[in-house]
Amino acid sequence: MLRSLRIFRRVCIETLLGLRASGWSNWLVVSILAVALTIFGGVLQMTMTLKNLVNAWGNQIQISAYLPDSADPKTVAHEISRFSEVKQVEIVTKDVAWNEMQHTFKVASVDNPLPNTLHIKLSSPDQVEVLAPKLRLMSSIESIRYPLKVAKKINDVRHFLELAGLFVTAALSAATLTVIGNTIHLVIKARHKEIEILSLMGVGPFYIKCPFVFQGAVYGAMAAILATAVLLGIHLYIDPYVKDQLFSLAPALTQNLEYSLVQTSLLMCALGVIVGAGGSLWTSGRYIKL
Amino acid sequence: MIRLQNVCKNYGGSPALSNINLHIGLGEFAFLVGPSGAGKSTLMRLLYREEVPTSGNVLISGVNLNRLSKGQIPLLRRRLGIIFQDFKLLNSQTVFNNVAYVLRALGVDEREVNKRVSSALAVVGLEHKRDSYPTELSGGEQQRVGIARAIVNGPPVLLADEPTGNLDPATSLEIVQLLERISQRGTTVLISTHDQPIVNAMRRRVIALKGGELVADVDNGFYELEMA
Repeated sequence: MLRSLRIFRRVCIETLLGLRASGWSNWLVVSILAVALTIFGGVLQMTMTLKNLVNAWGNQIQISAYLPDSADPKTVAHEISRFSEVKQVEIVTKDVAWNEMQHTFKVASVDNPLPNTLHIKLSSPDQVEVLAPKLRLMSSIESIRYPLKVAKKINDVRHFLELAGLFVTAALSAATLTVIGNTIHLVIKARHKEIEILSLMGVGPFYIKCPFVFQGAVYGAMAAILATAVLLGIHLYIDPYVKDQLFSLAPALTQNLEYSLVQTSLLMCALGVIVGAGGSLWTSGRYIKL
Repeated sequence: MIRLQNVCKNYGGSPALSNINLHIGLGEFAFLVGPSGAGKSTLMRLLYREEVPTSGNVLISGVNLNRLSKGQIPLLRRRLGIIFQDFKLLNSQTVFNNVAYVLRALGVDEREVNKRVSSALAVVGLEHKRDSYPTELSGGEQQRVGIARAIVNGPPVLLADEPTGNLDPATSLEIVQLLERISQRGTTVLISTHDQPIVNAMRRRVIALKGGELVADVDNGFYELEMA
């Protein structure tokens, strides 16, 4: 146990020596990886926000079903509430609607032209397109209306951002892998004598390769810290402005816009360490022949 | 201690070693001689498992090196001390740290490292240079550091690949005499060299290679010109 700890300590020292030997190229690797992680984290935050937005919007989505005078609103409401997509059905009788309308718009005293209406709330906003055709088939419903387009657009944007973010993150990660590979290759070249001595004197591959893998992991962690700082800056200085704007447009939506920066930071750190350590492992496996 | 049985080694079809049979016993001191291209370095590399024979067996302390897995190679090398022509010292490290380098990598306790390194430096007569850097030392002193590093783990076998190749004749003799003293403590020493005066001055076992073949194996021998 103590021996393993001593070996681990030496591996850490060798890692620091490797970082010192890499000089300015450390910053090149860290900054490229930080850009990749910032994009990844930013996209993640944005898609989480949009998802919340869609959910918030979705919670407000309801289908309005207009009934012919021949249909009994209570019976139809009971029938509709049996669908699994339905969360709640609210009956607005033609009299109530007419009273409200008269109160709001001061319309002339004519016969009530409004139909009985059912406001149907959904268990999930995604279910709109499932439930709507079922309602259309019901003879007791004359017509239906729902604000589908906005929710659908937001969802489309979210999917696009997810894909574009993944693509850009993957491309930048590949670029980072190349830069990490080259940096570690240079360190291996600079330390080839030590590697040769260690190998010929019976030191195992774990001790020889580990410092390079650790060096890559350190790059990943440092890049994640930088990326977190950038996102924190955005969170502190830009978010309040965006929220203000959104609040003036749709107050209810801003209630569900909170997202976890800690979660995003942890994910960025995990991705950074995986890319950094993975790139170094691949390079050391390729260039250190023991 | 060291045994080669019908060992052949080919590189791309051309033979570097042909049907070598050899036995070097415990505590023995032997020279492996021959001109450049005779196969000396190939044979040395087979002994520390840097290469594997095309056919035949290489055994050290009864262990067949052909059967070693990759993970077992470091364990073999810990039982060998290897000395190089170009010393292979780290110029950024002191003499002490050069000798201690591998021990620390193996997780040896620092007090034990101190004890073993001091003892190895005493054997090669360099205790007073422990804080010097290799660039501050003469060639002979650098090779002594290399020898100290090779013996610090107490290996039963010491392999020296052209250890005097970069040294003047007087220093070369000192180095070989130092290796002979180490051998007298029970370590098997095999020195590959083409330094005829040194071999002839020592009058020890001489194993001669020529064109990859074993052409002579003589106790108290000379390195004769016709061998080359």
